[in-house]
Amino acid sequence: MNSTLSNTLSRMRNIGISAHIDSGKTTLTERILYYCKKIHRMHEVKAKEGGGATMDFMELERERGITISSATTNVSWNDHSINIIDTPGHVDFTIEVERSLRVLDGAILVLCSVGGVQSQTLTVDKQLKRYKVPVLAFINKLDRIGANPFKVKEQVVDKLGRQAALMQIPIGLEDKLEGVIDLVSFKAIYFDGPNGETIREEEIPVELLDQARHYREELLDIVSLTSDELAEVILEDKVAPGILHKAIRQATIRREFTPVFIGSAYHNKGVQPLLDGVVNYLPHPGEVENIALDLDRNQLPVALPADPDLPCVAYAFKLEEGPYGQLTYIRIYQGSLKKGDELFNTRSRQKFKVGRLVRMHADHMEDITGAIAGDIIALFGVDFASGDTICSNGLNYTLTSIYVPDPVISLAIEPVDKISSDRMSRALSRFTKEDPTFRTYLDPESRQTIIQGMGELHLDVYIERMKREYRVEVVSGQPQVAYREAITARADFDYVHKKQTGGAGQFARVSGYLEPFEGSYEFINEVKSGHIPREFIPSCDKGFQASLKKGQLIGSPIIGVRVVLTDGQFHPVDSSDLAFQLAAQGAFKQVYKKARPQLLEPIMKVAVETPSEFSGSVFGSLNQRRGIIISSVETGLYSTIEAEVPLSEMFGYSTVLRSMTQGKAEYTMEFLKYARVPQNLADDLMEKHRQQIEEEKK
Amino acid sequence: MVKKILSSKSPVKILEKSISGGLGPGNLGVFASRKGVGKTACLVQIALNRLIDGQSIIHVSYASRVDYIIAWYEEMFKNLASRENLSRLMEIHDEIIRRRVIMNFRQEGMKTEQVLKGLEALLVQGNFPAKTIIIDGFNFYLPAAGDLQLFKKFALDRQLEFWFSCSLRGNDPLFDQQGLPFVLKDYLDSFDIIFTLENEHDRVKVNLVKDHNQLSLKKLNLELDPQTLLLAKA
Repeated sequence: MNSTLSNTLSRMRNIGISAHIDSGKTTLTERILYYCKKIHRMHEVKAKEGGGATMDFMELERERGITISSATTNVSWNDHSINIIDTPGHVDFTIEVERSLRVLDGAILVLCSVGGVQSQTLTVDKQLKRYKVPVLAFINKLDRIGANPFKVKEQVVDKLGRQAALMQIPIGLEDKLEGVIDLVSFKAIYFDGPNGETIREEEIPVELLDQARHYREELLDIVSLTSDELAEVILEDKVAPGILHKAIRQATIRREFTPVFIGSAYHNKGVQPLLDGVVNYLPHPGEVENIALDLDRNQLPVALPADPDLPCVAYAFKLEEGPYGQLTYIRIYQGSLKKGDELFNTRSRQKFKVGRLVRMHADHMEDITGAIAGDIIALFGVDFASGDTICSNGLNYTLTSIYVPDPVISLAIEPVDKISSDRMSRALSRFTKEDPTFRTYLDPESRQTIIQGMGELHLDVYIERMKREYRVEVVSGQPQVAYREAITARADFDYVHKKQTGGAGQFARVSGYLEPFEGSYEFINEVKSGHIPREFIPSCDKGFQASLKKGQLIGSPIIGVRVVLTDGQFHPVDSSDLAFQLAAQGAFKQVYKKARPQLLEPIMKVAVETPSEFSGSVFGSLNQRRGIIISSVETGLYSTIEAEVPLSEMFGYSTVLRSMTQGKAEYTMEFLKYARVPQNLADDLMEKHRQQIEEEKK
Repeated sequence: MVKKILSSKSPVKILEKSISGGLGPGNLGVFASRKGVGKTACLVQIALNRLIDGQSIIHVSYASRVDYIIAWYEEMFKNLASRENLSRLMEIHDEIIRRRVIMNFRQEGMKTEQVLKGLEALLVQGNFPAKTIIIDGFNFYLPAAGDLQLFKKFALDRQLEFWFSCSLRGNDPLFDQQGLPFVLKDYLDSFDIIFTLENEHDRVKVNLVKDHNQLSLKKLNLELDPQTLLLAKA
């Protein structure tokens, strides 16, 4: 690698901004863009006129004041090129968060200085840890009444289990917030000018000297635990800022330490030092180890050095359809890529030529001719699904696939007219490409289009987007919970499939047993001495798998089954692939009820944050919904109540919660597990299913 | 069946026998010892015993994180189950989770009124039928007489039993000649039962210091198993 390139690499940062909803993430992002001189006017989220903040460029997001898509924005700060990947905050969109995290090298975790660590902070923190992302914390909203960055820092240590220390302390709080004291340079920093763009450095006010010394000591103590070099100079009392910087940087990159910055993005305080922090303490792409799996060598893990001279490996993490066609965001992990290159998509096994390449800014794009390892850019005119890996010819790598949960809720939709119907299929095909947790299929019985996803809001957003981006009007039915059926006992089968209809007959016999299984499905072949010829064993497996698609209780998919095939019989002429498939299906049908099947329903982990005065009503409402209350954590005025509640009971809960708490409470939920449906409810569901079938027969 | 086997054998039952059948509704009991001796283990066992008996409990903690408390329950349940050879483990386990709520009051200087309000919200509006409340991590070194009176009144009004832990600190001696922790002397009226835990030759022994109206030191034939922290016959 030549020195200019390594210079370029070391001046590159790919960061994300993660937070609980309403921690001020979007405002912070927007201020960052402003100070990096990319936009000229600051606007507020939920602005009354003139549009929302720059990152939320989808209209719908503007309306809701939340960020759904992960737009990537490139900015410059101190000669560094920073790609900001704006991660969505709501749990219903977790897949988007996770996909963004995959391509980050570092993140800013935004916390509210009043709310502190909230339920969703825990979720995103877990994700950051899962993807091993080094983190800077930013305690925002110091101007708010009740702001207490010291308490929030303690929560970062306590609740998130991070080794953290304040990098700054506030000069004044709430409406008296004036600036911050930088504990590394040991100077007071003020933010002058109408938009806080002029930084003024002063000596630390005398009355804050003791406090500043105390917190600097704390910072040195914690960082020195990770650095012998620093520990030594502390003993000699010669801590130069350079050594401290280096120790903090190393510890942060190794994820042994989380520097905590503070400020108020809304009041233009503390944003520039945070940007300095990004440049100083978060890693450049060359400092992060990335692994791919080599499909030609039995998925052997291979390291991807960020060297532009090697063959190219890149990852498509986000698709977006704009006015000019489909845009595919990619992160280049190895090698480089330029216009006209011929590359290979290892999932679709298709070659393609790199056409137009662009770098995205929040509201406009810039055409570029090429990009090198470490960078995040977007491609035009390629047909990818998100999660695809692209390589130079000769390589056959895949970047570890992201864990994709099964959808838990479904909804029937119907276009209002023929035009909508055509557009709808286009919209759906794109959404499913963008978001693997969003699925769609045509129900062969009802002939309705069914969409599936991770929650009510998740599906709502797509219906809204169809309306806005594709002008598709749909009528939607009641949301349906994705029930499952599972067996609870072992049951033996012995089944003969026999058919004589002139011509060639069909004959196959299978015997064995079903038993409950921890995973989803397993097939074990224990047939001895060729009672079933080897070529027909996969036919049996196929037949059983086909049976799992629809259970006999309410027609839901069956999970948790192990089929053990122990014996069978065949006929030299009449046995065939089809005969064994049908025998397996017949056997399953015959024995299923004997295996005592039961209904399972998705249980959600629900976290409600409410002013404590309403906690009684919240307890009551969760109890009414068959919820199990796990815990209630009360910190001053607020309580966080965690419960496990069946998804089927959660429809419309946001409205109930809002009216119950004067709109002051909010909740998040995510899929936890499948659990047994209580007998009386299961009986109701089965009765309904029976009636439905009868009606269809008529 | 399972429940019965566990209950009759349970050393917790022996513990309760020693205090004339149990703490009883409207009463406050406490386990006192230095940090790390086994108070929380005792409280969790009392709670588990109630849960396995089919009752509901609320575990109030002032300090520990929820996942830390859950880990205590999981660990003690696992130990108990393997000692008692319980069958249908998952079923009992799920039942236990259903009937246990952990409440955490984290802010320093959280007022007892607020804690009781939270409890009331859960008991009344949340319709949660707990009869036993565990209070872990209450600070007895701040003036607490008023708070304990509030707890006592709440216990009487709602016919609940409250089990506290009391963490002893400072230099020896911590106990007077009757084995009563000095720090609890001011609160004798509020507590109906006082147990202390004592390290004796590497074993943790359980002493009964106050038994309803009786104030006298009684060394019980119970100790904590050093491996599992389960109460066991000495």
